[in-house]
Amino acid sequence: MDKLDIPQGTLDLMILTILAREPMHGYGISQKLAALSHNNFQVNPGSLFPSLYRLEQDGKLKAEWRPSENNRNAKYYTLTPAGRRQLERHRERWDRISFAITSVLEGA
Amino acid sequence: MTFLRRLGSVVWWLLNRNRAEQGLADELQAFIDLSAADKMRGGLPAAEARRLAVVELGGVEQAKERVRTYRHGSMLDELGRDVRYAFRIFVKNPGFTIIIVLTLALGIGANTAIFGMIDALMLRWLPVKNPQELVQVTFQAPGATTPPAESFSYVIVRALAEQRQIFSGVAGFSGFRFDVGSPASRVPGAIVTGRYYEALGLNPVVGRLLTREDDEPGASPVVVISYHYWERAFARSSDAVGQNVRMNGVPVRIVGVSPRGFVGANVGSTADLTIAVAAFPQVKPDAAPLLGPGNFWLRVLARPAPGVSRAQAAARLNAVWPQISEPLIAPHWPASRRKEMADSVFQLSPGGTGWTYLREVYRKPLFVLMAAVGLVLLIACANVASLLLARASARQREVAVRLAIGAGRGRIVRQLLIESTLLSLIGAAFGVGLAWVSGRFLVNMISAAPGRVVFDLTPNWHILGFTSAVAIATGVLFGVAPALQTTAAGPSLVLKEDARMSGSRSRLLPWLVSVQVALSLVLLAGAGLFVRTLRNLQNLDPGFKAEGVLLVDLEGRRTAVPDDFLDEIQRIPGVVSASVSTHTPLSGSVWSEPAVPAGQRIPERDNAYFVGAGPRFLSTMQLHLIAGRDFTNRDSADSPAVAIVNEAFAQRHFAKQNPVGQHLAANVRGNRTDLEIVGLVRNTNAAGLRKAPPPTVYVAYAQLTGDLPTALAIRATGRIGSVVSAIQQALQSKLPGTAIEVRPLSAQIEATIVQERMMATLATAFGLLALTLACIGLYGLLAYSVAQRTKEIGIRMALGAQGARVVTLVLKGGARLVLVGIALGLPAMWAASRWVESMLFGVTRTDPATIGGAIVLLMAAAQLAAYLPARRASRLDPLGALRHE
Repeated sequence: MDKLDIPQGTLDLMILTILAREPMHGYGISQKLAALSHNNFQVNPGSLFPSLYRLEQDGKLKAEWRPSENNRNAKYYTLTPAGRRQLERHRERWDRISFAITSVLEGA
Repeated sequence: MTFLRRLGSVVWWLLNRNRAEQGLADELQAFIDLSAADKMRGGLPAAEARRLAVVELGGVEQAKERVRTYRHGSMLDELGRDVRYAFRIFVKNPGFTIIIVLTLALGIGANTAIFGMIDALMLRWLPVKNPQELVQVTFQAPGATTPPAESFSYVIVRALAEQRQIFSGVAGFSGFRFDVGSPASRVPGAIVTGRYYEALGLNPVVGRLLTREDDEPGASPVVVISYHYWERAFARSSDAVGQNVRMNGVPVRIVGVSPRGFVGANVGSTADLTIAVAAFPQVKPDAAPLLGPGNFWLRVLARPAPGVSRAQAAARLNAVWPQISEPLIAPHWPASRRKEMADSVFQLSPGGTGWTYLREVYRKPLFVLMAAVGLVLLIACANVASLLLARASARQREVAVRLAIGAGRGRIVRQLLIESTLLSLIGAAFGVGLAWVSGRFLVNMISAAPGRVVFDLTPNWHILGFTSAVAIATGVLFGVAPALQTTAAGPSLVLKEDARMSGSRSRLLPWLVSVQVALSLVLLAGAGLFVRTLRNLQNLDPGFKAEGVLLVDLEGRRTAVPDDFLDEIQRIPGVVSASVSTHTPLSGSVWSEPAVPAGQRIPERDNAYFVGAGPRFLSTMQLHLIAGRDFTNRDSADSPAVAIVNEAFAQRHFAKQNPVGQHLAANVRGNRTDLEIVGLVRNTNAAGLRKAPPPTVYVAYAQLTGDLPTALAIRATGRIGSVVSAIQQALQSKLPGTAIEVRPLSAQIEATIVQERMMATLATAFGLLALTLACIGLYGLLAYSVAQRTKEIGIRMALGAQGARVVTLVLKGGARLVLVGIALGLPAMWAASRWVESMLFGVTRTDPATIGGAIVLLMAAAQLAAYLPARRASRLDPLGALRHE
């Protein structure tokens, strides 16, 4: 199946959403994203990691090393309070955008 | 993100770079492991699962690189790459790089050298404790328009030092050169008040420094030597303390060594031997009057008491002064002068940089020179900018390729700016070296006999900071336009078959050349004005003939100058005549007294220069006698007092009458004296070459009493060198404890125009440098345009244009640029010359001959520069030119 390009600016929102449920490592995030998007989105690690690093540097995420499911050490990312606030803001914005777009498309 | 946070992140990255890199590698590895494990669970063999996982990641290194570019700290990594790239570009174009670096080295070096002088003269702190706290004390009479007076009498300095609620320390000082050892040599020293070292907060290296007790009447004379002198004369032996130094023939005990680097509070001169004021008369008996209240000769630095600001200290001092002034003002002064002193207002200015008379003399010249070298640097920048612009076309392809494969324009502009800044930093490094070497030459230039100027010009952080700032500003200045132009065309260019930018010739280049010409005109015309000023001063007839006259100073040795001294010198082969006087012209030291025609009231204020002169003084100086006679041996202490006056004095007091035979009433050294005028002489510019000849009264040396400054004046011909050594021998045997320095009078006159000589020399050097740079700029532009117009010129020649016509074509193009430059330069010159008007002599700031000369020079040089490319154009082979490209 052909993958979709992730729309500009939405990757951060999806990462924050996924991490809001539980802390997760990079691979987990990419798998989760694929699964939740019904395999429409496949995030390229080359895009995922820069986003993670930027969010971490801006204080939206914090990271720690701990053992993963198969007993390997992996870097787990957790949402910080600042990250949670950003998620709420972006979520609200996205809702409005998608409502607006849907409305236009359905000719309401 | 705020700047601070960004900076913090950069610092963090620097400190934790390795850990961060390791963390990233680990994380990516974990990703691959997890991914491979998943795929193996799906049934793939281990090796295949792993390979797929890496492919999915998009290559480990690429992924790392993308993460790095997101990191703020990666800025530095990119910078490092840009720098390495820039160096590769330099190495690939060595000729180009050398020309640019050389141009910048000259421009930046000149700036560094002049700034080094300004720094040494005005900006450097004295090497003392908390120099920024020090203030210089000056005073000004009420309503005075002259600058504040800097010198104080000994009694006033002592009284200031007692004001402990105002000052925690007060240091009075003055310079003096002692005759040391036997045979004697002159060693620079200082006379200081007792609290001098305490006020400056200095501690001895060995022994002790001078204290208040050393500056009390009757204290035995002791001396503190400088570290430098300790090293030179005593090889830093601790035995030096306790030894005696013979100073002016008097043994003086060394009590200590002052700290290394400290050579006195008088900037530009070295004090190797420092003694207290109270002890000075024991070394130099005729200096006793200096301790009196009428002599103002000590400069004062003070440290306000803790918690007292400069303004508060000044206010307190002015409040205290009226209460303490009465006993401090010379009782023999006329009432009006006493009142003026009592009403004077004290001023405190920052004094942490010490004191020097050089500041007064060189402040403006150095600022003018700083402006001149600034212009030279601008011209150099314009040159480099046009070189880079010309090269921009050559690099367009490279840049287009980089743009096409995805580099941002900002990224490339940054890369180009880094290149230009690096070029200018390399230029600056050479420039600092150049400045260091030429600094010695500059100091020598302002060093006039007798006191040598001593500056430490080793590059310090002031100078390096200044130079780096200049270099970076320069790099950006000449780099921006080329960088923008190079990247302006965008990536499309690379797709074209012929990526030469034939149509996009810079419109900026001709303007740069014209501006260079304009700035060169300003500098050349300015140089012309300074050269004319120097010439005018050198050719000025000062009223006497200095050539061939030798001087020997015998300060305060008057009693030891009997007639047979002069007779003996007179017998030396080569000596034409020998005489003696109290003051030689333009020595910087003068004597004035009040004198009026007999019968008039003697004024309170001095109104005439006085010179005590011996027999044959007029003929030795070749001072033209208009009427009457010279002094003779018969004018002795027993005969009636006689005087010779100059024209200025006669004009003022006797109008058209013949002054010879008239009598003067004068106060000569405190004694009312009746003088008979026996002669009238020509005026001399004794007060300075630029100043009008002062009214002067010559009195007979033999009829003066008391200690007087004494100088022998000797006119010699033939081999001056052997005459000098013969004079030295003759005098040394009679004055064993004195250093005999024979110096030409012409050097004394030259010393008064050192500043003008410096301006003429340096302005000329910078003017020629500017001219050369501007001509190189013009040459470069024309050569470049000829190369670009090869095809056009080829067609013209194929159609029958003669070589001469082609030459004219190119020369005309050059001349147009030069004319535009001159049109820009003339008003700039007119405006700038106002600033230097007061420094000129005998020439107006708009002197047509000087400006015309500068224009002719500029045009001639420009035509020469234009001729080379023009000739090359005229020799093009038309067929070859048409096939060009």
